[in-house]
Amino acid sequence: MSRKSLERKISRRKFLGTTAASGAALTALGTGLSRVSFADGHTIKIGFLAPLTGPVAAWGKPGLDGCLIWADWVNAKGGVNIGGQSYNIEFVGYDNEYDAAKARTGATKLIKEDGVKFIMMLGGDTWPGVQKIAEREGMLFSTLLPSDLSPDSTTLLAPCEVHPIYNVTGVEWLAENKPDLKTAVMCAQDDSLGKPSVATYLAAFEAAGIEMQDEPLFFDPATTDFAPVMTKLLAGNPDILCLDTCYADYVHPLCEQAFQQGYKGQIISCTADFYQKIIEKTSAEFMEGFIFQFPDFDDPALNSEGVNFVNPNEFYAEYAKRYGASEWSAVSWEYASIMDLWADAASQAGSAEPAAVLEAMKADGTGKHAFGTADWWGTELFGIDNALVGNWPVVVIEGGKATIKDFRSIPAWWDKHKDLMIKHMTALGQMWNQRG
Amino acid sequence: MPAAGTGGLIRRAAWRLRLVLLFAALAALPYLLSYSQQEIAVLLVINVLLVSSYRLLTLTGEWSLGHVVIMGVGAYTSALLAKQAGVPVPLSMLLGGAMAAGTAALLSFPLFRMKGFYFLIGSFAAGEIIRLIWKRFTDPFGGPKGLKRIDPFPDIETGFLSIDFYEPVNYYFLALAVVSVSLFVLYRIERSRIGLTFHAIHWQDRLAESVGVDTFRYRTLAFVIASFFAGIAGGLYAHYVGAVNPTRFSVDQMVYVLVWAIVGGTATFHGPVLGVVVLTVINEIVLRALGLDTARPLIYGLILILAVLYLPNGLESLGPRLRALWQRRRGEPAAAGREPA
Repeated sequence: MSRKSLERKISRRKFLGTTAASGAALTALGTGLSRVSFADGHTIKIGFLAPLTGPVAAWGKPGLDGCLIWADWVNAKGGVNIGGQSYNIEFVGYDNEYDAAKARTGATKLIKEDGVKFIMMLGGDTWPGVQKIAEREGMLFSTLLPSDLSPDSTTLLAPCEVHPIYNVTGVEWLAENKPDLKTAVMCAQDDSLGKPSVATYLAAFEAAGIEMQDEPLFFDPATTDFAPVMTKLLAGNPDILCLDTCYADYVHPLCEQAFQQGYKGQIISCTADFYQKIIEKTSAEFMEGFIFQFPDFDDPALNSEGVNFVNPNEFYAEYAKRYGASEWSAVSWEYASIMDLWADAASQAGSAEPAAVLEAMKADGTGKHAFGTADWWGTELFGIDNALVGNWPVVVIEGGKATIKDFRSIPAWWDKHKDLMIKHMTALGQMWNQRG
Repeated sequence: MPAAGTGGLIRRAAWRLRLVLLFAALAALPYLLSYSQQEIAVLLVINVLLVSSYRLLTLTGEWSLGHVVIMGVGAYTSALLAKQAGVPVPLSMLLGGAMAAGTAALLSFPLFRMKGFYFLIGSFAAGEIIRLIWKRFTDPFGGPKGLKRIDPFPDIETGFLSIDFYEPVNYYFLALAVVSVSLFVLYRIERSRIGLTFHAIHWQDRLAESVGVDTFRYRTLAFVIASFFAGIAGGLYAHYVGAVNPTRFSVDQMVYVLVWAIVGGTATFHGPVLGVVVLTVINEIVLRALGLDTARPLIYGLILILAVLYLPNGLESLGPRLRALWQRRRGEPAAAGREPA
């Protein structure tokens, strides 16, 4: 054997050794990821079935991180009292990659193999893969996207985020506080998340007397070059640029493009996940006044009476300490707030069984939503009263920081303008009885 | 020549024995798996058909970026026929395959005016047009949300037999049967004169044309046959998961098919099958079992890089390489021509 080939062999061996060591390290690191909170004694398992990787991971992974904190806090206090017995909570995660087939596999694993009592999902494209399992197994599921709700799925709840209906609060606040802004343009990814949100913004703009300069611009979710999208949007020099409910992967480049193309008007969006990074890519001046719907939980306004989320400022501080403040996203607190509801209902029911928890949760037609007491609502829009609807915050970036400007009532808007909402939802085929 | 005849008989018997053992293992497999792993096995079997049908197209030398969309054509057609026209699911699956084949036949006119890289881009564009149609026309395609509550494969209920195809183990056997028959047909096509012509077009298309082979017709034939089986795979998928949407058939999914084919190797019939099986087991079972859910893309990427660096001819070349190594160790001359091209 030549010396050269020997060296090559040794080098390869070293390489393989290093790879194996890296693999072992990753294994050790990863073992903590899917089962995120271990507990001794009596334990109840909760499933977390959401995208943890891929383009939609920003609306899954931060939620699981938030649940980690929730479980650590609850378990440290002795767990959840159910029927006179304290139970620790253990989350079991499954990455569904925002794919219906993988969501189906994940749901069966969580129910049949892990024995979870409740499953939290992002919903959207993944729910149809799970729907039949939910019906067959009678498992209680939650979604962040109430457009998944339908009369067929009685065990599916939208107990936290009534997306996209709360977007009306941002537009309403904008119209009241900046009445000189009269024209708007809008873009959204052409998918199940983008379309109902577009219908909502169209209704909200119409209710507020804001004129759309052009039809909403739908771009393909595979889009990576947003320069032409933004050029088309800004062609008419609109007062308001609406980014609808775009994923973080789109909001960031869209803002960059608006900045680079010299836009100086008002921006409104459903989310501004990781907005500090947008400010880094643009400027604090450019982002000043940006309106969206998801507060940082260090906001003092969250300590006001009526807000039900437990210790929001401490929760945010802990989140920032563990994962970094810039990792805070729209969903970081949402799944944890759903767990508050679930724990209350399980305690009331004296049982963690899905049917008992569901009954207790909806017993008096109201629930303790994160932002205040809310009603179980939705028949007119979703065909079933399984969405918890109440107040929602309007958030504005001021001095480089998200600041709650107001809490607005969604039901109050609905009572005045529901015809507009139903009109636009119907036009885009988004009513529950129009879907697939 | 009796010696050669005996050798042939032995080889054939050994081949049949291997086949029997393979089917025995595949029959036993679901009973060794957990419930959720059975679900993965169903999807794996469907993907085996998808990637094997893709290989048939690559035999002519053309790599398409639209094969997953063609699978989607089968899925949408089968779902719509069953859901809205009340066509029995087994028949709707076949019609889904036929629609996929018909779509491929239509697309072949513009696409086979191109070759190589241009064909690749053209197939991507054609696929995107189809996906945009699904998104644009909410009626009947369901728009971006797609179709849900698709009729499942009908349960079998007789006095003594009850088969519920919601159960993954039952659907696994159904999919296995459909895919086995499909693979047999694909294998026979490849070994036939038509298959040899596909190879000839791949390696020497000008020469093939000079001896009278109509390369357009044969390329179209490969595209149509491959698309038919991709459509069948789509039907199997739609009636199992119960939902389809345009994102499920995006170019992101196509990348997976390419990766399975490249990592497995396309020189042999079993190469892509090896690719999809090994990578799916690693990605969906091993890494998840290790609790590496969020690290999977990183590790998957690492595996791909290693595979390309150390197995440039795909996993299918691993066997011959190991055999050659074994023979070298024993001082035997290595068998020539075993390594796939």
